[in-house]
Amino acid sequence: MPLACLVCLVMALPPLDPLVRGGTWWVPAFVMMVAVAGVSALYRLSGRGSLAVPFLQLLVAAFLVTPLFAGHVAPLGLVPNGDVLAHLGMALEQGAQTIDGNAPPVSSSAGVTLIIALCLTVFMMAADFLAVTARCPGMVGVLVLALMAVPLVLHDTGLSWLAAAGCAVGFLLLLAADTGVRSREWGMPAPGGQDSSARAWGAVRRAATVSLALAAAVLLALTVPLALPWLRTDAFHAMADGTYIGTGSDVITTTHPLVSLRRELASSSDRTVLTYRTDAERPDYLRTYVLDEFDGVNWTMTPVNASRDTRVDGELPLPTGWGSVPSQETVSTRIWLDSDAPPVDFLPLPYWARTVQVSGEWYADPGSLMVFTTSSPPTGLGFSVETVDRVPAPEDLADSGEPRSLPGDFRNLPRDLDPRVRELAEALTEDARSPYERAVALQDYFTGGAFTYDLSPPAVPGGSDPLAHFLLEDRVGYCEQFAGAMAVMARQVDIPARVAVGYTAGERMGDGRWAVSAGDAHAWPELYFEGTGWVRFEPTPASSGGQGSASVPEYTRGAQEDGAGSPDGAVEEDPAAGVTEAPERPDGSREADEAESDQAPSESGEPEDEPSASAAAPDGDGRAGSGLAWLPAAAAVAGGLLLSALPALVRALVRWSRTAALASGAAGSAHTAWRELRDTCLDLGGTWTLAESPRATATRLAGSGAAPEAAPGRMGLMSGAVREPVPEEAAAALWRLALAEEAARYAPSPTEPEALRQDLETARAGLAATVRPGARVRAVLLPRSLAPWNRPRPVPDPEPVTS
Amino acid sequence: MSLGTHHGGRGGGVQEDVGEIVAVADRVRGAIETVIEGKPEVLRLTLTVLLAEGHLLIEDVPGVGKTMLAKALGRAVDCSVQRVQFTPDLLPSDITGVSVYHQDRREFEFNPGPVFANIVLGDEINRASPKTQAALLECMAERQVSVDGQTRALERPFMVVATQNPADMEGTYALPEAQRDRFMARVSVGYPAPQAELDMIDSHGSRSPLEDLRPVTDAAQLRELVDRVRSVHVAPGMRRYVVDLVNATRTSPELRLGASPRATLHLVRAARAYAALDGRHYVVPDDVQALAVPVLAHRLLPGPEAQMERLTPEQIVAKLVARLPVPGPQ
Repeated sequence: MPLACLVCLVMALPPLDPLVRGGTWWVPAFVMMVAVAGVSALYRLSGRGSLAVPFLQLLVAAFLVTPLFAGHVAPLGLVPNGDVLAHLGMALEQGAQTIDGNAPPVSSSAGVTLIIALCLTVFMMAADFLAVTARCPGMVGVLVLALMAVPLVLHDTGLSWLAAAGCAVGFLLLLAADTGVRSREWGMPAPGGQDSSARAWGAVRRAATVSLALAAAVLLALTVPLALPWLRTDAFHAMADGTYIGTGSDVITTTHPLVSLRRELASSSDRTVLTYRTDAERPDYLRTYVLDEFDGVNWTMTPVNASRDTRVDGELPLPTGWGSVPSQETVSTRIWLDSDAPPVDFLPLPYWARTVQVSGEWYADPGSLMVFTTSSPPTGLGFSVETVDRVPAPEDLADSGEPRSLPGDFRNLPRDLDPRVRELAEALTEDARSPYERAVALQDYFTGGAFTYDLSPPAVPGGSDPLAHFLLEDRVGYCEQFAGAMAVMARQVDIPARVAVGYTAGERMGDGRWAVSAGDAHAWPELYFEGTGWVRFEPTPASSGGQGSASVPEYTRGAQEDGAGSPDGAVEEDPAAGVTEAPERPDGSREADEAESDQAPSESGEPEDEPSASAAAPDGDGRAGSGLAWLPAAAAVAGGLLLSALPALVRALVRWSRTAALASGAAGSAHTAWRELRDTCLDLGGTWTLAESPRATATRLAGSGAAPEAAPGRMGLMSGAVREPVPEEAAAALWRLALAEEAARYAPSPTEPEALRQDLETARAGLAATVRPGARVRAVLLPRSLAPWNRPRPVPDPEPVTS
Repeated sequence: MSLGTHHGGRGGGVQEDVGEIVAVADRVRGAIETVIEGKPEVLRLTLTVLLAEGHLLIEDVPGVGKTMLAKALGRAVDCSVQRVQFTPDLLPSDITGVSVYHQDRREFEFNPGPVFANIVLGDEINRASPKTQAALLECMAERQVSVDGQTRALERPFMVVATQNPADMEGTYALPEAQRDRFMARVSVGYPAPQAELDMIDSHGSRSPLEDLRPVTDAAQLRELVDRVRSVHVAPGMRRYVVDLVNATRTSPELRLGASPRATLHLVRAARAYAALDGRHYVVPDDVQALAVPVLAHRLLPGPEAQMERLTPEQIVAKLVARLPVPGPQ
């Protein structure tokens, strides 16, 4: 058994591997675990009981620590003295600091290795005590789970299924070893003696029972939260949304930015996510993620790498293609993340940040200037950022030429993109002379009124390209679609583009700070202009008919008057689509927004109710809820009914097969009838012991019915039991069944008895009449006989006396 | 077990044999019941031991009819019955017989002792000296007597019905384990029920009903029945069950001394007879269960813990029986 414990715990080691850098951290731990388990095994072999085992284990562990960790300071490499203790203490302290100060994976320094080895030794001793001394090997599962929980909590990639399976296998091995030891101690193998077909049938039935129970558990776990809205937590369903980005050891996994964006927009929009104070007059958007790859359907993030070189240490690296910063003027912003908001592993920062002062371990991606962490970030983080103060002038943008300073990746598009998208983009930019004009033309197309902003856009019909569907068919969407579509079209017309995800500037509060709420979550395209860099565009409709706090950048305004498409023209050209959408004014200031807000109610008489950004979330949810809420509920009810009827169905099936066997006069019909009688008795709550012979059972049942056994002398006092003898004919039937079973079991050549089926029916009816109606109903709905643990089982032989 | 006797016959030669056993047994039972009333279980056990060729030890306080039972049995079966009253001064030769020198013929002549009979009633066997007890018990096991170098076989059927007072009574020599082991079963008669006792006053008032008892069978028929009982079927599962039960007495921590292999044989033989008396040609667990206490209990010695808890061997055997699973379907 100690060795089984060892195997079990060793199998639980691989999950720890991603947490420690360097391959040899497990060696000392393994040596110490082997030693501790070996001590236990040897000492127990000597048959002296188990009292001294923990002390011996401690002794051995203490002696092993010296050569393993302090061999170079100890005399002879073995003898522990003061130096050794001091060295170990230092190592412990250093290890603790390493673990505290670094995100996993930590380097496998001597201190870390020592801490791991000591912890695992303690685990091994605990496992040995639980499994061998206390004889509760199941409890070792807690230790294994604790080991598995470490990577689950600390590491972003969690636990690979292989490692988890290894843990499970180890644990099962331990349990199997314990079962083996136990049955050997009883001196008798597990109950057998039936022929192999009966055993196989029993195994099949057990497997069916277990899988039914599992299926029921999974089904309930999935349907109950769906049916009960108050049980719905994001945490549960968010499990399905987790996206793993990149490969390798030092990569970041985060919830897919667009998914979290959608979730934030759909959530209560008033929740403050962060507040900030800034020097800027009109603060820019706060950018969290940059998505730079388009796969035809989704925008995704190139894997970002956390390495020593990219660690944030005040100043951020210059973006790719820039030798220096265009302007030395900076704007400083201090940002406080709300302590109630979930922690972020990517910092929301204005572009283009030069320096970031933040505590903890953060890394910057030089290409996109995203700042992220690999460890679990704290909530309520506060940090300062300095950004380059630059307001791109429309003229500069208009004069910019071909983007040479940037890799061509930002113009990549999948080959199988719908050609109509390209045709549309080229048609829109026909008149444009420069990249800038093309970009403005695209933006105007989106904000021109032809599109409708809706947080819960109608589903894309199966098979059609979501992008083309949005651009050409229904033209309903929210920032994700707008930003993505504009970025794709910009790439179509040779402008490098990517999608940024983050927050709009938010709302100014009374004390000069700005507050950003979840409803300000946003996505927008960033386009690259040679000489200026990445520039934000805003295709999403702003104000009440769109993303409330979105603002069209100044630098796209000046050029807009002589841009290709005028907003009014767009409305006239396409009156059918989105007529309620107020055309986006290029000078969309706060006053203009307010004016449009006033306008909105007068238009709300339109059949298509246009939700504002803030109202959209509950409304959208409500609509989805009213349409679909009853469906999972009904499914759950139906599933529940089906599940609750399942035992009855299975029991009926068993009974039917037995009755059929009786009717066909198959061999062993007496046994079949007797088994059915046994199950009926169990179902009705009666007792059935293997030490009782058939006729004794029949006599007992005939005398007291199927009511549970009461203590002798207290007949009839049992609650719920009606103790009365079964009717005459049922008693006679019981007796005949018992004699038939007896003859089938013990007679040299039993003759097949007749009328067993009728006898069985009579006996069953007679037994059922002896219990209360409640017990009868329970016997039908929850037949106890289906549960293997209710079956009578042989009492193991008493332990032999060793004297 | 009243229902058990209603078990109908099923035809077949074996079945008819069993039917004859039942008929004869019923006759014997009826005859004895005119003398000993209200003790059907004791009677049934006595007949079982008779048919299984065993010896019966009746243990009870004086005056409950131990001797009367033995005598009635001897009368109901037309066979030779001898009675030995055991006293402390009884000698082994008083039981086995003695060779006497015949003056006229100038040779030794063997005078057979009371043991040369079909049914030997040993009254108060524990009053005799161990030496004398041993002489009787040797005959019981070997079914032969060796006197003066000559071995003489005893008659068939041969059944010793010994009575003894409970071991702790004054002036008794408790039977050693080895000798108790030779009795197939021990039974205690017990006091009669009040109604039976009332009837007894009436029936025993004028003259002893024993004298009216007429034999209902004879030794030859009995021998035949005994042979037939041997053919009663014991299924493999039942054999295993008996072995398991006996084995359980050996491994039980509550018992200092378990049952012997001889006990196993006795139990199987008794179960056969018991089944035959029930009109069955095969043994069922109920037979073994009913016989476990009378056949096993007197051979067992309780362990110290059981003695502290005042558990008798009878209770321990009953516990073992209640725990042992009966053989299931093959």
